[in-house]
Amino acid sequence: MSWLPGLAFAAPWALGLLALLPLLWRLLRVTPPAPRRIAFPAIRLLLGLEPGSQTAEATPPWLVALRLGLATMLILAAARPLLDPAPRRAESGALVAVIDDGWAAARDWNGRREHLDRRLAAAEREGRPVLLLTTAPPADGGALPPPSLTSATEARAALAALLPKPWPTDRAAAALALKAGFSGRAAQVVWLSDSQGGGGAELARALQSLGGGLDLVEAASGRILMPPPEDAGTQRLAPTVRRLPLPGGEGVAVIGRDAAGAVLARGEATFEPGQSEIAVPLDLPTELRNRLVRLDIEGEAGAGATVLLDERWRRRPVGLTGGGGEGGVPLLDRLYYVERALAPYAELRRDDLPALVAEDGPPVLVLADLPLVPGPLTDKLAARVNQGVVLIRFAGPLLAAAGTDSLLPVSLRGGGRALGGAMSWTTPMALAPFGESSPFRDLPIPADVEIRSQVLAEPSLDLAGKVWAGLADGTPLVTAERRGKGWVVLIHTSANADWSNLALSGLFVDMLRRLAGLAQSGGGTSAAGPLAPSETLDGFGHLAPAAGAVQPMTTGMDRTEPGPRHPPGYYGPPNGRIAFNLGPRLDPPHAVAPPPGATRSGLSPKHRETDLAPALLVAALILALADAVASLALRGIWRRAALVALALGAATPADAADASVEAALATRLACVRTNEPAVDRDCMAGLKGLSQVIAERSTANLAEPMLVDLDRDPVAVFPLLYWRVTAGQKPPSSFAVERLNAYMAHGGLIVFDTADEGQPGVGPDTAELTRLRMLVEGLTLPPLAPLASDHVLNRAFYLLKESPGRWDGATVWVEQGDGGGGNDGVTPVLLGGNDWVGAWAVDDHRRPLHAVVPGGERQREMAYRFGINLVMVALTGNYKADQVHLPAIMERLGR
Amino acid sequence: MTDAPRHLAEELAALWPPLLVAAERIAAGVAQGAHGRRRTGSGETFWQYRRSQPGDPLAAIDWRRSGRGDQLFLRETEWAAAQTVWLWCDASPSMAWRSTPALPTKRERAEVLILALAALLLRGGERIAPLAGGMAPTGGGGALSRLADMLARERTGPGLPTPPPLPRHATVVLAGDLLAPPEEIAALLGRLSAGGATGHLLQVLDPAEESLPYDGRIRFEGLEGEGEMLAGRAQDLRGAYAERLADHRAALAALARARGWSFATHRTDQPPQPALLGLYTQLAERPR
Repeated sequence: MSWLPGLAFAAPWALGLLALLPLLWRLLRVTPPAPRRIAFPAIRLLLGLEPGSQTAEATPPWLVALRLGLATMLILAAARPLLDPAPRRAESGALVAVIDDGWAAARDWNGRREHLDRRLAAAEREGRPVLLLTTAPPADGGALPPPSLTSATEARAALAALLPKPWPTDRAAAALALKAGFSGRAAQVVWLSDSQGGGGAELARALQSLGGGLDLVEAASGRILMPPPEDAGTQRLAPTVRRLPLPGGEGVAVIGRDAAGAVLARGEATFEPGQSEIAVPLDLPTELRNRLVRLDIEGEAGAGATVLLDERWRRRPVGLTGGGGEGGVPLLDRLYYVERALAPYAELRRDDLPALVAEDGPPVLVLADLPLVPGPLTDKLAARVNQGVVLIRFAGPLLAAAGTDSLLPVSLRGGGRALGGAMSWTTPMALAPFGESSPFRDLPIPADVEIRSQVLAEPSLDLAGKVWAGLADGTPLVTAERRGKGWVVLIHTSANADWSNLALSGLFVDMLRRLAGLAQSGGGTSAAGPLAPSETLDGFGHLAPAAGAVQPMTTGMDRTEPGPRHPPGYYGPPNGRIAFNLGPRLDPPHAVAPPPGATRSGLSPKHRETDLAPALLVAALILALADAVASLALRGIWRRAALVALALGAATPADAADASVEAALATRLACVRTNEPAVDRDCMAGLKGLSQVIAERSTANLAEPMLVDLDRDPVAVFPLLYWRVTAGQKPPSSFAVERLNAYMAHGGLIVFDTADEGQPGVGPDTAELTRLRMLVEGLTLPPLAPLASDHVLNRAFYLLKESPGRWDGATVWVEQGDGGGGNDGVTPVLLGGNDWVGAWAVDDHRRPLHAVVPGGERQREMAYRFGINLVMVALTGNYKADQVHLPAIMERLGR
Repeated sequence: MTDAPRHLAEELAALWPPLLVAAERIAAGVAQGAHGRRRTGSGETFWQYRRSQPGDPLAAIDWRRSGRGDQLFLRETEWAAAQTVWLWCDASPSMAWRSTPALPTKRERAEVLILALAALLLRGGERIAPLAGGMAPTGGGGALSRLADMLARERTGPGLPTPPPLPRHATVVLAGDLLAPPEEIAALLGRLSAGGATGHLLQVLDPAEESLPYDGRIRFEGLEGEGEMLAGRAQDLRGAYAERLADHRAALAALARARGWSFATHRTDQPPQPALLGLYTQLAERPR
């Protein structure tokens, strides 16, 4: 239904609700706004007052307008307005949606899904049933289930959960499933094709037979990355990229990653128009090349655009060394043929034996005719073999002369054996077929290979198990023995053409490759048997542990069809995984032939219709919020809430800073927080009582004492720090210790009070005393001495003889000497156990909190006097120390 | 915290001379004070010379006067007694209210006035006692802070006091919003006056309680559980409310007059001095 050009309503009946707006207006005018609530003390006088007419204050017009606007928005949103709508199909019937979800669809999957979702959303609006059909075999390994008609909403949910599969589509099966599942007439048929051929015509025919035409939607199709040739002789890896022969040119880049996902190499190439295959060379040094685990087409996530690499693509370093010295004559050089045979597949390193045996030496060593004399070097080599090095030895005149050494798989008979010489009965010998357990078992044996000379093994019981290749007469040509993790292999003939023409044959190359491969795969026999899946690729080319319907690979890599049972990925045991790549198993891409009569289109829709309902709903929500704010404001709640918020906001910041500022504003005593509430309370009450007494008896006017946390609060502003030591206290942090040291060094006075004097049966070591030792660890305490009767502490304000607190009798310790140090001779610490704060503590009405033991009010008075002296010393230093010398001064004056 | 109103009150009271309560009949009591009882007794003011009679102690004879004649005279002083003023400050929730944050609450203002009055009385040598709370009448330096403490501690209370039995001819000062129905106040005054007490009523109100400055749809809620009331247009109630308030005050004034009490009103947006002055003049002893 379209009224304005470009605007239509999907549910126009909802517009009828607009007729109710005048009613709403009337209702809003009549209903008064919610009242403000005001507390009013004189309500008794108001209670009887009821004005005659209850004409309430009317809702303000702007609020009415706001609410009407809100209602209008809701009604319009309910009518589902669409801007620039797609033309509707008049006839009813189902929408048949087919989506290719094979590997090739992964490249543009999100676009495909969005496109189809738009189509399904349109069907949802039109109330059309939907038949959603996928074409790739499902991941559970079964056949494609026949599709069924669902509502568009369900189909959209199903589509949202759909992912591309890492195997090709099976359109013939899809056509069959469609026939089985749907027999009616479709109003509309959409096929999101991945553009790859293969069963396309069949499916197109099936779709066109449904009626409703065929809407063929095409998007960018996946490209195939072919693995690079395994035996590329050069440094470079050269994977090829295949694509549909499209008319346009296209750049493509291939990146190689290591196991951690880091990009190690990147190569670029450009498709010419119409070109469908191009090689993308990747240059990288061997060490990096060996770290590569996968290649990807850059910017394309898909199973087809990923190549997993295994040992076949690795080049291993191989160390070569030979006995004797015939340098300068290439064809006679013992290693010449070995070098030529291995050069394409391995990094060769020719060096002398000690260098090759080093810890970072190559994992494969080829020793051509080099006898090993017992000694440290041989021991080291043996150790390396045990660690996993593969040692390949060739026989020769020197080895034959030297005889058996420890690093040979078999013991040799002395001397060699020449076949077919002038003095021999025999003719040069050909090779016997390889045994089943031999790593060479599937290598073809050229007929013209002849061995003319060899070294012979001593017959022994286990000889047959060690033979990997033999001559026609049964004598061993290649013997091998496992040593620890490594191998020792002996080729019983020479590495050059002296003793045989094996080195000239292609078999030599293959054999050496297999032998060099022993270093990684850990043994030549593991490739046999079924390969269990280890990790598999999903449709987007992500590796994940194999799960679901994946089955072991039995038939060999080259004959396995990729599918739900064998998705691309790694197969085989963890130390010898073999990569199964999708690319080589796919046909070269060819485009699907467009079925006659189908309309073809791309992903971008012709009609980009916009649903205005969400925007309207958001507008309605904003209006509703505005209405809520306005209502609150009318009721006066807003201001209160703002005040509360302001107060909350203002109250939070900088409490700690406040504390220290407040501490510095007035002179006050401080208590160290012990985190034992009762003790802390006592300490505060005690200092408070003492402060009051001091204020009464002297001119010192101390403010309320504070409780300080040594780890948090600064202590420098307090003249005296009272530290009540409890048994469970935590020692201060190193930071706090530093601060305390600075505090004492600059004239502060810390009173340590263990308050343990009054405990029954105290021994020399109470728990508090033990704890005190722990607490003061790290503090720079001066040497201490008992408080002398003529110490300034006993003279500062009152003349005292004793220093009782709540208890009496403990020795009080102060800094040794009198006035010797700096800081006016104020002792930095005072240590005692008399619980002075206990004696000083009073409640709000100045009543003492604790009884003093043993002595009644006189003892309390003495405790106060001691406290006053203490504070006086802390505040004034030793100027009263003159009193100490008064007798001497008087004597001098009298003279 | 408790000191703030006391300091305010002391500042306020510093402006006036000490207050001697005008008391035609001093309440029965033995405390020494400043009220001359026009008869001999213990005091400092000279009252009369009297012939000595047998039995008078020798030390009581005024030898200077006796030396002028043949007779022996004793010097007698006037009996001076202290008057106790019973103070009450409304601590009901409705007092802890102000219409705008700029104003003090009614309670704060009433406290300041009562304390200032107490300070003046104490300086005049009188004794004070709170009407509620069971504190004995006291005089002297500590009495003011004790009263302040008591007032600060008593945060909630009934709208009207339930007076303890007072001595005869006591003087009572009641400060509060006095919004209770006139009948209740009449009953209270009746109970107090029955013992011969006289006194003063001070009604402390917030300006908003006089002018009802609210507009629009408002739900008024009582602070002491009186209920609530919905006003459709509060501005329409203003006239009727003012009338009611005037009636209420007139009723209170009439009540007070009938029993020889005085009645005054005070608004928290006005300075406290006029109200204090009013109380002072009402209480002050007229020169003899």
